[in-house]
Amino acid sequence: MKALLEVRDLTKVFKIYENSFDRLKEIFTKKSYHKEFTANKNITFSLFEKETLGIVGLNGAGKSTLLKLIAGVLEPTSGEIVRRGRVTALLELGTGFNPELSGRENIFLNATLIGMSSHEIKRKIDKIIQFSELEEYINEPLHTYSSGMKMRLAFSIAIFSEPEILIVDEALAVGDAHFQQKCTRALKRRKEKAMGIIYVSHDLNSLKILCDRMLLLHKGEIIKEGSPEEVINSYNFLIAKMNEKEEKKILKKENSYGTFDAKIEEVKLIGEKSKSDVISSGEIAKIFVKIRAYKDIKEVTVGIAIRDKFAQDIFGTNTYYHDICIDLKKDREYICIFNMKMNIGVGKYTITAALHTNENHIENCFHWIDNASEFEVAGFFGKPFIGICRLEPKIEIRELTYE
Amino acid sequence: MLRNLLLAFTLAKRDLKERYVGMNFGEFWYLISPIIMIFIYTVIFSNFMKMKLNIVQSQYAYSIYLVPGLLAWSSFSTLLNKTAMVFLEKAELLKKINIPAYSFMISVLIVEFLLSLISMGLGVVFLLLIGYHVGFEFLYLIPVMVLQSLFGFFLGVLFALFVPFFKDLKEIIPIFLQLWFWITPIVYIKEMIYDKFPYVVDYNPAYFFINFYQNIFLYSKIYSLKPIFYLFLITISLGFLSIYLYKKMTPAIKDII
Repeated sequence: MKALLEVRDLTKVFKIYENSFDRLKEIFTKKSYHKEFTANKNITFSLFEKETLGIVGLNGAGKSTLLKLIAGVLEPTSGEIVRRGRVTALLELGTGFNPELSGRENIFLNATLIGMSSHEIKRKIDKIIQFSELEEYINEPLHTYSSGMKMRLAFSIAIFSEPEILIVDEALAVGDAHFQQKCTRALKRRKEKAMGIIYVSHDLNSLKILCDRMLLLHKGEIIKEGSPEEVINSYNFLIAKMNEKEEKKILKKENSYGTFDAKIEEVKLIGEKSKSDVISSGEIAKIFVKIRAYKDIKEVTVGIAIRDKFAQDIFGTNTYYHDICIDLKKDREYICIFNMKMNIGVGKYTITAALHTNENHIENCFHWIDNASEFEVAGFFGKPFIGICRLEPKIEIRELTYE
Repeated sequence: MLRNLLLAFTLAKRDLKERYVGMNFGEFWYLISPIIMIFIYTVIFSNFMKMKLNIVQSQYAYSIYLVPGLLAWSSFSTLLNKTAMVFLEKAELLKKINIPAYSFMISVLIVEFLLSLISMGLGVVFLLLIGYHVGFEFLYLIPVMVLQSLFGFFLGVLFALFVPFFKDLKEIIPIFLQLWFWITPIVYIKEMIYDKFPYVVDYNPAYFFINFYQNIFLYSKIYSLKPIFYLFLITISLGFLSIYLYKKMTPAIKDII
């Protein structure tokens, strides 16, 4: 396999100065006036033909710096980058668009900037317009376009610039679903023609689907390289560790109410495999509800509800439905664990928890807390599916015969 | 390297096309501002204020003196200022696309040089309209204008390299240019200050080319090539200096824009 991009021992140190005058002084004198910040440290990897390489990392891990170095916008402090072919970065979607010019003229402008010759542009312009589905508006000035239309135009130009190395930085997250799918298909087709893609995203699900191999960046260094599965697990572990440090305290006034005779102190979800609050669909997870009683209370019900990002109830249950009640004693702490197979679709969810008596909180509500904690479902255990619930169908198929 | 130079040409072409897009008169605007300038100085100084220079016999003598200096200065200062602002104005592009800043700078040079040719051409048309002598000596204007543009360009590059470090330069450069304009004999004549401040004339590279134009416009004569030779030397040294500093400073500039 041919390596399109080789990054060897790449280090980028940003010098931090108190003012720009110190920075200038240092260029011309031997004295040092700066503090250092290492954004990338000893990074070595290759990108091969027909490969999509995913890069994940927490905010500030050095992803953007690395992409800028690869794109050539920043200069490395030390190390080497060998590029075999044109690098186009989709972080530059629509760079240099002029709102006064028509869509067609903007194609020329933007394509020139990302490195296409005018001959090449003339040859491809019809295809670009066709792909963008903007035929009707292409001669209108760009300021009449919606942001989605601009994005479509920009992406079409980028994909037809036919780079050997394409850098995609969350850019696919814009645009409607139809065009997103079209983009994904176009990327796949280009990839088969010996292009390499570097894909950076926080959307773990799309990373799992699109990438062949992944890197995990942490504090400027590659701490894990391997299959998407492995790398995402390490990444989740990293997030979990960070959350522990932060010790998310709930009990914000705005989202909780009740008599507070007993209080919910903490709500969290932990996946059995991932050991974090990012789990795969179909994974077994535990939801912990920690309770502290301030009075003796008899027959308390603990309830939880899982909501999706549209605040729609996905699933809710309580101990009452399961014929479990608990008597709380004053100044004691309790933990209630809901052990569940998370057969829900990918996405982000919140957990709401409540303490009350009987079936619901209408009569006696001790503590109700909305959105006490969050978790994410990314990727699948078992067969993938579409939608929010896994219905586990048994499928039969046979030929129909008529006698 | 070659690709980036070609890119500079394409960018220049785009810039010329784009500049007046969406305006009714389009390219016509290139001509408007020098015409207005010539018109104002001719009508106001020659007709209304009856200013006369005794150096040549013409009711438009003062305008003939004024026009080449003003046109050349306005091209020179625009070129210098625009080149100096490249890192600031193209920051968004330079941050995202791997295009060297010099492509944008050279595109400014190309555009402003062409516009300066047009405006100087209009100056010559003005001479023809008032029936003044225009001879083959006027062809000497072109190589000196090339030199003038390169001088302004390299000086602009030099400023450009420091602008990202001192944003104040954005305000300082126009003031500096304005002062430079007024110490150069453009609206007044050299004799008015030469006794008091001879160095302002003798060591002023802008006056080297402006005086050359003035002589050609007024007398169709080249008195001495010495100042042009000095200007040539200054431009060459500025060129080497700015290229050297450009290479040395751009990595740091990329970090801060």
